[in-house]
Amino acid sequence: MTNTYITNATWALTGEKIDLRMGHGDEPVSVFLNDIPLDGVNGVAPAGEMLIPEGARVIDADGKLVMPALFDLHTTINLEGHSKRESIYRAGQAANQGGVWGMLVMPSRGFIFDNAATLDSFDEAVSQRSFATMVPAGCISEGMAGEQQAPYNTLAARGVTILSDGGRMPTSLLMLHRAMKYAAAMDLTFAIRGDVPCLSEKTYMHPGTTSYNLGLHGTPACAEEIGIETLIRLAEDAGARLHIQTVSTAEGVNIIRRAKAKGMTSLTAEVALHHLLYTHENVGDYDTTFKTLPPLREQSDCEALLEGVKDGTIDCIVTDHTPCMPFAKKQDFVSAPQGMVALDTFLPAIYTHLILPGKLSWADVVRACSTAPAAIVNPYDQEEDVPVVAPLLLFDPAAEREVTPDSLYCGTLNSPLLGTVLRGSVTLPISR
Amino acid sequence: MPTISSEEIERALDAWGAQLVQKMSARDDEQWAIVGIVSHGDVLARRLVQKIEKAGHKALYGAIDITLYRDDLDLRGKRPALRSSHLPFSTDDLTLVLVDDVLSTGRTARAALEVLWEYGRPARVEFHCLTDRGGRQLPIHPDYVAFDLSASQTDKVQVRLNEIDGAEDITY
Amino acid sequence: MNPRKDLITIGALSDEDIRTILESTSAMKDIFTKSVKKVPALKGKSVLTLFYEPSTRTRSSFEVAAHRLSADVTTFTVSTSSVVKGESVHDTIDTLMSMKMDYIIVRHKNSGIPAVIARHCKAAVINAGDGSHAHPSQAFLDAFTIKEKYGEVAGKRVVIIGDILHSRVARSTSTILRRLGAEVAYMGPGPLVPPQQHTGIARFTNWDQIFEWKPDVIYLLRVQNERIDTPFFPAADYHQAFGVTEERLKRIDDLNMSIMHPGPVNRGVEICDAAMEYRNCLINNQVENGIAARMSILYHLTPQTQCHD
Repeated sequence: MTNTYITNATWALTGEKIDLRMGHGDEPVSVFLNDIPLDGVNGVAPAGEMLIPEGARVIDADGKLVMPALFDLHTTINLEGHSKRESIYRAGQAANQGGVWGMLVMPSRGFIFDNAATLDSFDEAVSQRSFATMVPAGCISEGMAGEQQAPYNTLAARGVTILSDGGRMPTSLLMLHRAMKYAAAMDLTFAIRGDVPCLSEKTYMHPGTTSYNLGLHGTPACAEEIGIETLIRLAEDAGARLHIQTVSTAEGVNIIRRAKAKGMTSLTAEVALHHLLYTHENVGDYDTTFKTLPPLREQSDCEALLEGVKDGTIDCIVTDHTPCMPFAKKQDFVSAPQGMVALDTFLPAIYTHLILPGKLSWADVVRACSTAPAAIVNPYDQEEDVPVVAPLLLFDPAAEREVTPDSLYCGTLNSPLLGTVLRGSVTLPISR
Repeated sequence: MPTISSEEIERALDAWGAQLVQKMSARDDEQWAIVGIVSHGDVLARRLVQKIEKAGHKALYGAIDITLYRDDLDLRGKRPALRSSHLPFSTDDLTLVLVDDVLSTGRTARAALEVLWEYGRPARVEFHCLTDRGGRQLPIHPDYVAFDLSASQTDKVQVRLNEIDGAEDITY
Repeated sequence: MNPRKDLITIGALSDEDIRTILESTSAMKDIFTKSVKKVPALKGKSVLTLFYEPSTRTRSSFEVAAHRLSADVTTFTVSTSSVVKGESVHDTIDTLMSMKMDYIIVRHKNSGIPAVIARHCKAAVINAGDGSHAHPSQAFLDAFTIKEKYGEVAGKRVVIIGDILHSRVARSTSTILRRLGAEVAYMGPGPLVPPQQHTGIARFTNWDQIFEWKPDVIYLLRVQNERIDTPFFPAADYHQAFGVTEERLKRIDDLNMSIMHPGPVNRGVEICDAAMEYRNCLINNQVENGIAARMSILYHLTPQTQCHD
């Protein structure tokens, strides 16, 4: 096996033109460039300065960007009515297309990660079927019912580092408090979305003019904010690591900012890409594509969330990828499930809607979508007994592509980007 | 396009009214009502009633909108606007004079007869019209025609009356 | 009016649509004075009433309206207990398609269901009330009743009192009245009246403000506390705080205001007994006008089943 050389690539974080020598299996050496560990890269030099042996495989990456691939901290892969293997295969394909090399898979129907057997069969299926690294998030409670603790020791022994009930806030705070105290010793992180279930039950979107006109009951922002505050207080008291999922309101960002300012280092937070791009007004005339959990909020919330990403209050941008069958989304708004798919389009959507308009820099994106999430999950190759680090991807900013049903590999079509044109395309793995 | 002037229309209405008065005198045991089909027949009917009253006779006045009884509602994409009918009496045992502006296929007259029966059982009905342009598709025959245009082979007769159109003439 | 298949919300109608349907309503009302209270306009057409939520009044009103236009009416009984959330609506749509109905009149507890059915059926779909979203036929009968009483809707002031948050009547009726140039205000228990920045409609909190504003019409909504799991306000307070009490009726009378209510009325809650006999109580007119308004709506919609395919 010979080396592959990437020449004339632009390093996304700095804009430098560089040549890269991609390593092969025998010599897995990581080099660091701007604090980014580069797996499998054992050589990097300013463009034109690398000695390239005769006959070597060369990829001319002129005009293209090279950067660490993304890690998604919030993915649901279950495809209703399909096998688990199909769900895994589809999600992996979609991820690679969107620039995502690895993901934290939320427990969901069909993937209830509360026991060793389920985790083992999942890992096996992933190793056979997936193009992407998939790390399961263990359940907080048995069957995600919110009442009994799952066996954390057993889960941790299978490589679980994050616990989540698929975003749901456990109904029993007592159980959660005890769980946090118990899991603290194992250095597990609790990933939960802030909520007060009794305040948000039977609500369908953000309260405002649109919800009034459509006659849909509004989910008060305070339900999420009180939930975040509650989680922080519980985790602080229990000494547990806490990751707040899908923050959607400006005040939610403020609460997290205050906690971090107080020195709470074991606290991290994420925002879903759609909460940076859309508002409740996108629901329009009952467009179920825009039904999400938590709901899309206001423009001022989008801006506060973006500010939170830039100043590091919000550590990660995630897909909150949730496949919903066309049949289910075609129902009325009240009955339709929440969620969007975003893996396929992740990096091109970020580039088109956040980087090109100048809202985020490449450095922000690499931190929020690659380094920070990977650091929270700490994926570890148990067979090789080494940490897994991000591979590189090539990004062609000049490419333009319309998002069509055929172009989505993820298995469902609940993407608001269908029919729109995105800038940029991803090559991952790079030597493809 | 040939035009009939407002003066000619007025003269024709005088003759029409006189003819009605004559009929009414001959059958003075009958109670008469003049019922116009909206939107032009009702104007004509009102004028005829005034002429009859001037001559010292009495006739009730009514107006009916036959839109909901048309046989071609489904053939039009758009539903025609409705106007109010005004028939504040039972038609039981009345002699009715049904008045319309233009008679052609006879379908309007058929619908109008259906309407009248829903207000009672008239003793007798006559059908009078301002113009007849021919082209009958139903066995409907007018009892009185002011202007017979059936020989002119026209497929469009436009009647304008002061009360609703702000001008008055017939073009064909 | 341009051919329109469905009536889902007032907001979707043009000014011309609204005007045409209102004007025809009065022509429809003339039919009630004939000895034969029926016209052949929809002869041979089939009308289906599909109510997922019980409502004797609205359903009967639509059925009478359809009968008076000579349509054939079928009642599709949906036992609400057997309705599996969501799924059954699609199954029902398939069934309806096979029945080749021309008009489907639908009521459902979920906002947005009639729109889903309308998208998938060739039949003309009339929303007879969906969740807290819309009740357009009620809006037409209300607007017609006010027009009949005052000759004109424009310039009139109407205050709608009660549970605005859950009320499809408040939404549809306020929309049509404002489109016709009336001024509308809301009043009711705090948690049940959405803020003005969401509704665009002035929000009063007590009767003193109402009497100061001097509306022409007091529009009372039915208190439906029984439908709500966790009550929004203490029920025992309602009459005293928000209802038409006998003292308030005196002032209403002095100021010559009208009273309306979509029915059925909770006596002693929204309204005192005496108010039902009040000279300007238009509640019975609303019921009568409801049939005429629904006839006008049925007449003006054009199902795509008429295109011969």
